[in-house]
Amino acid sequence: MVNRNPVIAVIGAGIAGLEAARQLSALGYSPVLIEKAPAIGGHVAQWNRLFPDLGPAAELIDTLKKQTAKVSTLLSTEIASINRLKDGFNLVLSNGSSLLCQAVLFATGFQLFNAARKEEYGYGIYDRVITNRDLEAWFNTRQDRRVDHPKAVGFVHCVGSRDVKAGNTQCSKVCCITAIKQAIELKEEFPDAEVYCFYMDLRLFGKKYEDFYIKAQRDCGIHFIRGRVSEVGEAIDGRVVVKAEDTLNGKPVKVTLDLLVLMAGIVCNPDAQHYARQIGVSVDDDGFLKSRDNLAAIVESSRPGVFFAGACTGAKTIPETLAEARSAALAIHHYFNKRS
Amino acid sequence: MGRLYDELSKDYRFKEGLKTCINCGTCTAICPAAEFYKYDPRKVVDTVQRKDESEIEALLRSETIWYCGECMSCVTRCPRGNGPGLVIMALRNLSARLGYFTSSEKGRQLWPLTKTLNNNILHTGYCIHPSTFDCDEYPEAGPITRWVMDNKEEVFGRLGANYGGEGPGALRRIPQKDLDELQAIFDETGGTERMEAVERASREKAAELGMDFDEYTKYTFEHCSVGHFNNE
Amino acid sequence: MIYQGKQKIWADYQKEIPDNHWFYVRSCIRQNFFPASEKYFLTICRDILGRDIYESEHHTTCAGIAYHCDTIPQETAMTVVARQFALMTEAGYDSLVTSCITSFGNYTEILETWREFPELEEKVREHLWKACRREFKKPRYIAHASDLVYKLRGEIAERARFQLVDRATGEPLRVVEHIGCHYSKMFPHKGVGGAEYPCVLSGMAEAWGGRVIDYPERRHCCGFGFRQYFVKANRGYSLSNTHKKFESMEPYHPDMIITNCPGCPYFLDRWQYVISEMNGKTYGRNGYGIPVLTYEELAGLVLGVDPWDLGLQVHQVAVEPLLDKIGIPYDPARKYLGMDEKKIMTPGLPTSLKCC
Repeated sequence: MVNRNPVIAVIGAGIAGLEAARQLSALGYSPVLIEKAPAIGGHVAQWNRLFPDLGPAAELIDTLKKQTAKVSTLLSTEIASINRLKDGFNLVLSNGSSLLCQAVLFATGFQLFNAARKEEYGYGIYDRVITNRDLEAWFNTRQDRRVDHPKAVGFVHCVGSRDVKAGNTQCSKVCCITAIKQAIELKEEFPDAEVYCFYMDLRLFGKKYEDFYIKAQRDCGIHFIRGRVSEVGEAIDGRVVVKAEDTLNGKPVKVTLDLLVLMAGIVCNPDAQHYARQIGVSVDDDGFLKSRDNLAAIVESSRPGVFFAGACTGAKTIPETLAEARSAALAIHHYFNKRS
Repeated sequence: MGRLYDELSKDYRFKEGLKTCINCGTCTAICPAAEFYKYDPRKVVDTVQRKDESEIEALLRSETIWYCGECMSCVTRCPRGNGPGLVIMALRNLSARLGYFTSSEKGRQLWPLTKTLNNNILHTGYCIHPSTFDCDEYPEAGPITRWVMDNKEEVFGRLGANYGGEGPGALRRIPQKDLDELQAIFDETGGTERMEAVERASREKAAELGMDFDEYTKYTFEHCSVGHFNNE
Repeated sequence: MIYQGKQKIWADYQKEIPDNHWFYVRSCIRQNFFPASEKYFLTICRDILGRDIYESEHHTTCAGIAYHCDTIPQETAMTVVARQFALMTEAGYDSLVTSCITSFGNYTEILETWREFPELEEKVREHLWKACRREFKKPRYIAHASDLVYKLRGEIAERARFQLVDRATGEPLRVVEHIGCHYSKMFPHKGVGGAEYPCVLSGMAEAWGGRVIDYPERRHCCGFGFRQYFVKANRGYSLSNTHKKFESMEPYHPDMIITNCPGCPYFLDRWQYVISEMNGKTYGRNGYGIPVLTYEELAGLVLGVDPWDLGLQVHQVAVEPLLDKIGIPYDPARKYLGMDEKKIMTPGLPTSLKCC
C-alpha cells in the first residue's frame, strides 16, 4: 500500500539536514529532523567566519534556522536503534518514542580527528598546543587562556589526514584553506606575530581559495614551510619546539613557538557508521558511508530509501554540502514518485 | 644480475621500508644524522623511488648511505608507512655484495667493521669481548674502562660475572660446539660468503691505493676527511 | 604540561607481559660494561621476587650489532636468532626476555617480518636445520628485561629501603629517563606506553618516589649509531648527538639519568667525560657529572644493595653525589677492591670531570 504522506527521517540538523529539510518541506513532504545536540547548526554553528568571502557563520545558520522554523525538530535526541521494515524504517529514539518513516536521510556530518592521537604533537599534554576547532572557538568567544598575545604561531597541516599511522589515509580537503584563513585572521589580530604554516602540499582547489594564499604571502608575511611537522616538544619556559624539514632547502628546521595550531582532519561520524550497519548500508574503504556511485549518485546509497547529504560520505565544503542536500531532497522526491 | 632496483626489491627490509614516498620530510626532520651530516633520508628514498639505474648506482657508491645511525626514528613517524632506515640497510647490503662500498671513504670502513665484529662473533660468541677490546682504540671509554680491562679477572669476578668460566653467567666462555654452530650458520646463510666478498673488494681497493692491507685496515678505521659534516 | 594527557596515552599501549617463566638472553655490551646489572636482574627476579628465569649456557650473541653494522646478511642474522629460539624451545619456555634493547628490536622485527612474509620463516627454518640440526617454536611473548622490572615495580617498591627523594629537601629526585631507540620506535605497540611517551622507565622512577623530567630532546637518539661509534673515524657523530641531549636537559637540573638500553648508559656516561676533557664543561653540580644508571642498578639501590656490588664503580661519572642525596650508605674504601676484598690498583682520574 502506498503512503500518500511519507515521513522522512533526517538524521542530523547541521547545515546538510537543515537545507534538505527546507527543500523537502518546499516539495510538500514532512521531514523530521533528529539532532543529538541541544541546538541545531552542527559544526558550522561553532565557527566564526567562513571562506571564501569571510562572512559570519552565524548568518548562514540564522537563515537556515528561519527557513526550517516549521519543520518538526527533535533536539537532544539520539537514535537508540534503527531497523529496516518491508516498506520503510523504524527508529527507536532516546526519548523513548518510535518513529516510523519511509525514507532516511543521513546528514550526520563528520567528526573532527582526535588530535590527541597524534601523540608526537602533544595535544592535551603541552599547554600551548591547540586545534583548528579551539582556535575558531577563540575567534568567537575570545576565551582561551592558551591564546595569549603569541609572538610566534605555527599551523600544522594534515593532522590525522594522509597518515597511515593515524588510521586515515585520505586528505581532509578543507584544512589547507582553513589554516590559511585562520593564519590571516590571527595575523590581523596580532600583527607583530610571526606565523608559520607547515604543509606537505597546499590544496587550494576552491573558488577564490588561491587569493587567500596570495594575500597570506603578499600582505601578511606568513611563512610557508614545505615540510610535515615530525615532533613537538616543550621548552623550559612552556613554549613549544617544533621539528620539520624545510624540504625546498633540504634542511631540518627547529622553531620555537608560543602557540601551535593543529589542523585536525575530517573523519566519518562513528554514529553514522553504526546506524548504517544496522540497516545494511555499507561503509566505504575510507571509513565514510558508501554512495551508490561516487560520480553520478553520491546522494544515494545502494539500499532503497536511504540517502546521504554532506560530510557523511566524505569531506565537503559548505556549498557542496548545501548542493547535495538539495539534490538528496530531489532524489527522495523521485523515489516516492516512482513508488506511487 | 638484473637492474639494481630489482635487486633491492628482493631485500625484505626494502619491502618493509619502501611503500610510496611523498617527500614530506617527516623523516629528515628528526633524523640525528641529517642534523650533523650532509645527509637527507627523504632524498635517499626519493632517489630510490625513481628507479633510475645510474642514480641508484651512484648512491651505492656514495658516502651518503653510510651516514645513517639506524636508530629507526624515521620509522615511527612516516605517514606513508615507509622506513628510510630500512631502505638504507638494503642499500648498504647491496653495496657490500657488489663491492661498490669501496668507492667511498665511509663505505670502506665496512672492512674493519666486518673483520672485528664477525671475528668476535665466530671466535667468542659475543659481538664485543674484553679479550679483543683494545683501550687504545677507545680512549673515550675513559680511565675507568682501562682500569676494568687491566684488572679483568678481579673486577669481573667482583661484579659477579663468570669471566671465561663454564656454565651460565656474564662473559662466560661459550662452548666451542656452540661456536661451531654459529660458523655453520654463517656458512649456510651467506654470512661467510659476505665476509669473503667484503675482504676481496677491500684487498683490491688497498692494492689500488698502493697500501699494505694492514695499513689499509688501520687507515680506513681511523681516517675522517673534512667535508662530511654540515658545518664543514 | 598536562600529566593526565600522558596517562591517557599510556593506557593505549599496555602490552601483555607474562609474570613468570622466562628464557633469558644476555647482552654483549652489558656483559662487558655492566655485568653486575645483569647479575642483579636475575637476583631480583629469582631470589627476591621468586620468579623462574632460565639462562642456557649455549646461547650466544643475537648478532644484532653486526646486523645493524651491516656486516652480516639478514638471513644470517635471522638464523642466529632462530637458534636462540631453538634453545628456548628445547628448554621448555615460550617467553623470551632480552637484556639488550637492540636484541629486543631485532627479535621483534624478525617475528613481525616472518608474520608478513611466512616464506622467509620457512627458509630460515631450513637454514637452521641444515646448519645445526635444530628446530624451534616462535616465542609467544618477547619482552625486554626493563618490561619485567616495570611489571614488578610495585613488588620492588614494597620491599624498597630507599626512596628516590632528596633527603635534604624532601623533594622527589629529578629523573631523566632515556629509552633505547630500538625499544619502541619501530613497533610502538611493542613498547609499554608506545613510542612517544614510553612509560617503562618513568613508571619505575615514579613507583620508587622520583619525578620524571620531560625536556625537548627526550626522544632523541643518544647517537650510538652502531658503525658511527665502532669506527673510530665516525665518533664525532656519536658525541654530537649525546652532547645535544645534555645541552637540552641542562636547564632542568636532573639528579640522574636512567636508561634501559645497553649502549645508551655507556654513551651518556662516557661522553660526559669526553666533553669535560674537551672543554671543561660538566653537567652536574660542582664539577661532577649527571650519574647515569641502568634500571637494574636503580632497582638494586632502592632495594638496599651495596652500590659497589651493583657495579656503580665502573661508571666514569661518579655516583656518590646521588647516593648522598638519597642517603644510601657506601664505603669509599671498598669501591675499587677486587674479588674477596682484595686490594688492587685504583683507576686513574679524568683531568676535568670530578670523580671519587
